[in-house]
Amino acid sequence: MSTSHVSPLREPLVDGVKDLGQITRDVCGPLDAAPTAAWYAAFAAALCALSYGAVMVIHQVWTGIGTWGLNKTVGWSWDITNFVFWVGIGHAGTLISAILFLFRQKWRTSINRSAEAMTIFAVMCAGIFPLIHMGRPWLAYWVMPYPNPMGPLWVNFRSPLLWDVFAISTYFIISATFWFVGLIPDLATMRDRLPEGWRKKVFGLASLGWSGSHRTWQHYEMVYLLLAGLATPLVFSVHTIVSFDFATSVIPGWHATIFPPYFVCGAIFSGFAMVLTLMIIARKVMNFEGYITLRHIDAICKVILLTSMIVGLAYSTELITAYYSSNHYERFAFINRIKGPFAGFYWMMVFCNVLVPQALWFERIRRDVRVLFLISILINVGMWLERFVIITISLHRDYLPSSWTDYSPTYVEIGTYIGSFGLFFTCFLLFCRVLPMIAISEVKGVLSYARGDQDKESRHAH
Amino acid sequence: MNEEEAKTQAVEDAKDGIKRRDFLQLMTGAFAALAAGGCRFQKPAEKIVPALVAPEEGLPGQAAWYATTCGACPAACGALAKVRDGRPIKLEGNPEHPVSRGGLCARGQGSLLDLYDSQRYAGPRVAGAPVDWDTADLEVIRALERARASGKAVRLLSPTWASPSARAELARLRARFPSLRHVVYDEPSLQASISAHRLTHGRAALPSYHLEKAKAIVSFDADFLGTWGSPVQFTKDWAARRKPDVEPGLMSWHAQFEARMSPTGANADLRVPVKPSERYGTIVELGRLVAQKTGWSGAVPPSGPTSVSRSVLLQTAAALVAERRRAVVLCGAADVASHAAANWLNHMLGAYESIADLERPAAFASGEEGGFDALLAELDRGEVAVLIVRGCNPAQDHPRAADFRKAAGKAGLVVSLAGRPDETAKLARIVCPEHHYLESWSDHDAHGGVISLSQPALSPLRGTRGALETFARWDGRRATDYESIRSYFRSSVLPRQKKTRSFETFWEDAVRLGALTLGGGAGKAAFIPSSLPALKAPPVSAFGYEFIAYQSVALGDGRQANNPWLQELPDPITKTTWGNFASFSPSDAKSLGLVEGRVVKLEAEGVSVELPAHVQPGQASGTVAAALGYGRSGIGVMAGNLPVVKMLPIDFQPASGADVMPLSRAAAVTVGLLSRVERLTKTQTYDHLVDPLLGERRDHARETVLADYLLNPRAGNPAEAKAHSLWKEHEYAGPKWGMAIDLNACTGCSACVLSCNLENNVPVVGKSEIAKSRDMHWLRLDRYYSGPPNALEGSPDVSFQPMLCQHCGNAPCETVCPVLATVHSTEGLNMQVYNRCVGTRYCANNCPYKVRRFNWFDYAHADLSANLALNPDVTVRSRGVMEKCSFCVQRIYTAKADAKVEGRVMRDGDVKPACAQSCPSEAIVFGDLNDPKSKAAKLAKSERSYRVLSELGVQPSVHYLTKVRNKRV
Repeated sequence: MSTSHVSPLREPLVDGVKDLGQITRDVCGPLDAAPTAAWYAAFAAALCALSYGAVMVIHQVWTGIGTWGLNKTVGWSWDITNFVFWVGIGHAGTLISAILFLFRQKWRTSINRSAEAMTIFAVMCAGIFPLIHMGRPWLAYWVMPYPNPMGPLWVNFRSPLLWDVFAISTYFIISATFWFVGLIPDLATMRDRLPEGWRKKVFGLASLGWSGSHRTWQHYEMVYLLLAGLATPLVFSVHTIVSFDFATSVIPGWHATIFPPYFVCGAIFSGFAMVLTLMIIARKVMNFEGYITLRHIDAICKVILLTSMIVGLAYSTELITAYYSSNHYERFAFINRIKGPFAGFYWMMVFCNVLVPQALWFERIRRDVRVLFLISILINVGMWLERFVIITISLHRDYLPSSWTDYSPTYVEIGTYIGSFGLFFTCFLLFCRVLPMIAISEVKGVLSYARGDQDKESRHAH
Repeated sequence: MNEEEAKTQAVEDAKDGIKRRDFLQLMTGAFAALAAGGCRFQKPAEKIVPALVAPEEGLPGQAAWYATTCGACPAACGALAKVRDGRPIKLEGNPEHPVSRGGLCARGQGSLLDLYDSQRYAGPRVAGAPVDWDTADLEVIRALERARASGKAVRLLSPTWASPSARAELARLRARFPSLRHVVYDEPSLQASISAHRLTHGRAALPSYHLEKAKAIVSFDADFLGTWGSPVQFTKDWAARRKPDVEPGLMSWHAQFEARMSPTGANADLRVPVKPSERYGTIVELGRLVAQKTGWSGAVPPSGPTSVSRSVLLQTAAALVAERRRAVVLCGAADVASHAAANWLNHMLGAYESIADLERPAAFASGEEGGFDALLAELDRGEVAVLIVRGCNPAQDHPRAADFRKAAGKAGLVVSLAGRPDETAKLARIVCPEHHYLESWSDHDAHGGVISLSQPALSPLRGTRGALETFARWDGRRATDYESIRSYFRSSVLPRQKKTRSFETFWEDAVRLGALTLGGGAGKAAFIPSSLPALKAPPVSAFGYEFIAYQSVALGDGRQANNPWLQELPDPITKTTWGNFASFSPSDAKSLGLVEGRVVKLEAEGVSVELPAHVQPGQASGTVAAALGYGRSGIGVMAGNLPVVKMLPIDFQPASGADVMPLSRAAAVTVGLLSRVERLTKTQTYDHLVDPLLGERRDHARETVLADYLLNPRAGNPAEAKAHSLWKEHEYAGPKWGMAIDLNACTGCSACVLSCNLENNVPVVGKSEIAKSRDMHWLRLDRYYSGPPNALEGSPDVSFQPMLCQHCGNAPCETVCPVLATVHSTEGLNMQVYNRCVGTRYCANNCPYKVRRFNWFDYAHADLSANLALNPDVTVRSRGVMEKCSFCVQRIYTAKADAKVEGRVMRDGDVKPACAQSCPSEAIVFGDLNDPKSKAAKLAKSERSYRVLSELGVQPSVHYLTKVRNKRV
């Protein structure tokens, strides 16, 4: 990747004195060795969760949505909460790989690969929920506009749920393409390192005949730049459209113009928290402390702090809007969040999303991975609760008091949610074992970042 | 199978969705039908006459309507049975019937399912084994002959059997077996009123009430809009005077003094909680005030205790006296003294000259004083050789049922005529099952001056036999019910009318219309003032809580206790399904430390019953009330639709409740708290219009008081703000269907809910699903208490609001469906396309009225023969699809087709959705809002009209008319 002169006053992006070959060995080395016991343990746990979730999904699809705790008033709860949660998680990956790329934020290089992988797996998890939440999921293809002999009967282009279908599928396709294109030089590196055999053939095919010539690099960088440009609007559009599911409705607590920016910020917030969780584990387990440095962690924390405050602002704006509207239903929807039967969830959400991240004002905390791990988990919990608060609490007491109900999930809903984590971690753990977790070529490009030219030359001499 | 096994089997069966035994039974039936070379559903052999002009009889797919008489309760309302392809699929009120005039209550409509009950007896049984009729008859006849020879007693036990031809048949049987005596009991009964009239008027009769003439009604515990007397008739009459816009001065004033909150009390303008022990004192006190105002100079009954404030009584007395000859006092007590005192009031008010008709008395649930107790004594002494039980279930439906069960063993032979197994039939050696009323010919004279006639709507499904034919056989004759009734009509009814001399014409008319009005009647009965001073106030119990066992709107006396439609019908007041409960007043609940669902033990005279508690605003302190009819054992499996389990188990809760019949004579019970909690399964869990957090009142159910309404017809009904839209409105070139619902006429009786269920194949989902708030009712009755949610004292104002799909012009559900499964019709209907629905539930979430219902599971009929009650015009929905009210679109299309065939345009009133058809108070009016002359359009434009949540801009098509309470403050 491109190199440029950077002031030696800046902190370096990669710790330790490493040459280019060392980086390749560091990143690819673990893939050559047998998996560690810790990996096996983690993979077994993830597979267990995945299979439990699979049994729950089969039960639910075979027997009916009635196996969930939903009712005549609360038609969505954990299903769509999980959907929005997972879609939100995905956003950080795209933000890191595309937007930070366009803004020439060189520090992204060591985390963008795994963040993007996280995006793809999160979108996969997210996609499951709208599918299985349908009463008749075997007819899910009806939400696609395709020529058919029924008229033809088209889909309803006015439905935000249809916009979701387009938004999520576009997002998945672009993210996956972007990720794959970014992988090509590294796949070629893998190909070159591998001995003859089927793996070499697979990587050979996957690297699309990468030659490493100047011309190849030139084309490659142009494609990457264009894809980054394509992916950037998706960061904003996907969650904007997800928020339309609620914003365009008539239900108090859903019907709000603030939702698009609020949801996008919340998504980035939750996504960065998830990146933080994963990176803290990965740098420890895979020995990547020299690549994913405390300075990276620090930068992630700053993004989290900023988005947390935007989310906090959104919470208070919602309350003030409701108060100022003088609309009884609107006021009640929010007072019901604060004082109603689910108030505990609301206050837990405020605690996790607004109060806890305030600790990140302090540099000492921003560089203490143990505390940060706890904070990142709390934020993940808080952001899940945020979607639960919006979806379930708004629904359970809406206009006509005669229909007010309670809601509690069944083991099937909880199991499906656990299963989605199983899927996510199964994919992520496989990714760690099969593909280079760090973008080798990009990291090589920033090796000299903030180091003197002298230093660079001296390393090239090695 | 013992009881425990039966229970396990029931649970197992419910899980399976289909009962193994039923499946086999049905398959056997199906093969038998195939072997016999045809369908089992056919017209009866005798000539029956459809109510309307019939097309070619028996045209496949064409429905014919047959007039019949509802057999679900003693009130004997006129009903029309809709017969499609040989089987009745719907019951509706018969508009031509002189008494019920088109209404039909929930229980009456639900009785259709009893016809298809697979547990009905297939034929006669002796000692539990199926036999042929001759064998059974022979054994009965031999026993009767032996009794005649030995002079031992033969007893027929039945509830009030208001059938003139049955009486004639019985007389013939008695001529042959002189020791036969007919013992009549009804439980609960109106017998106290009859006894009181014997005392005060010298005539043992139950007056017919003409409430349409009453401008002031004061009722003491008489739930006349719910279960007392003839509720459909009374609702119709009462509602006629609840429409303030028809003419000024029409509105009646209605006060209810009662202990528990009954549907009638919920509709009263003044409701005063009064304990049963103070009822007599209150009536007498009111009587004394009326006596002062009317200048009564005769004797006065002795006073009794009352805690009702003098100002309330003065107000009531003034209102009654102001409407002399247009005022009536009703009494629903079981004690004669209260009734006699009420009769005195009615006499002073001139009610006997107009409203209460003793000349043509009614005959429902009249009972017989002490008859049952005397029979028990005879049985105990071993004097009864043959006991024949017909139409009742004394082993359960009497407070002394336990004594009966013991004594029945001492009878020589017990014969039951029950059509399906019940507690008594199990004790009987011989069962001679009779037809369901939809399979039989019968006549009824429960209402003074009216004879109703029932014709069968299909030939008997099983090997049952009519009761009259059974008696004729025992008398050695081979007359069918049809022949007996015809001969009675020829000899006794034809001469009493003057329209025609030809019997065949007369008969055909009577069968087609289902009822005829006859003249005549007894003379006037004079009031006997001297009877008053001898009255004695009922004794006051010294301990515990006063106990009220009442009939619920859903189950009544419990004879339909295994009818899943009725079990799932929410109680109008508490909104509870699938079980009964003990109601306490809020202040008693507080002092006892009760919360809803806490199980209490009610105990009196060594009998105890355990029930979950319910806290009922407006209930009199110091009382506890529980509904009869629940908790019956020995009635077989409750055959609802239940979720079909395919993989892992899902929750199943059987119907709950306890039989309070053994306690029903107890004046008071002690209350003990158990540690158990049983959640009540309610369809509405928040009761108030005022929200619990901000304390603001929502104006979904708007109301005003009459005084304000007369000054300003828009009182309590602020005008709808003009909605602004960027888009063009929908244009409706043809009709725009809409509805107007008068909240002032709606009594919450829930007939519409059941009617909708039947018409639209709405599944019953069972107790466990209701507990999860998954009731499927397309039309629900919202019940709200006004006033602060935590009030402990006094009686809250109650409003009922039928809530159904509002068929919005700008429907929020339509825009959000991704697959266009819910769309707008050119006639303003919001249509649900089941085939297209993928079940995202987004439409239900976005419905501000929450009227959409989702099929969470496949809800299969546990009793497959119940499928025969399904309406073939309406799709049975599979799981995973959304459903909701369609404004009975199938009826709209039928009406259109009919109009087209007749070469005319559609007229207002051609289309009547099921809910509107059966509404006894005519509160629901459906029609074309584009036609300014239609009734619905006129009502929609009235000053009382408003639309719920119209401020959302959704343009609902359902208009509500404000409730106008006739409060005198």
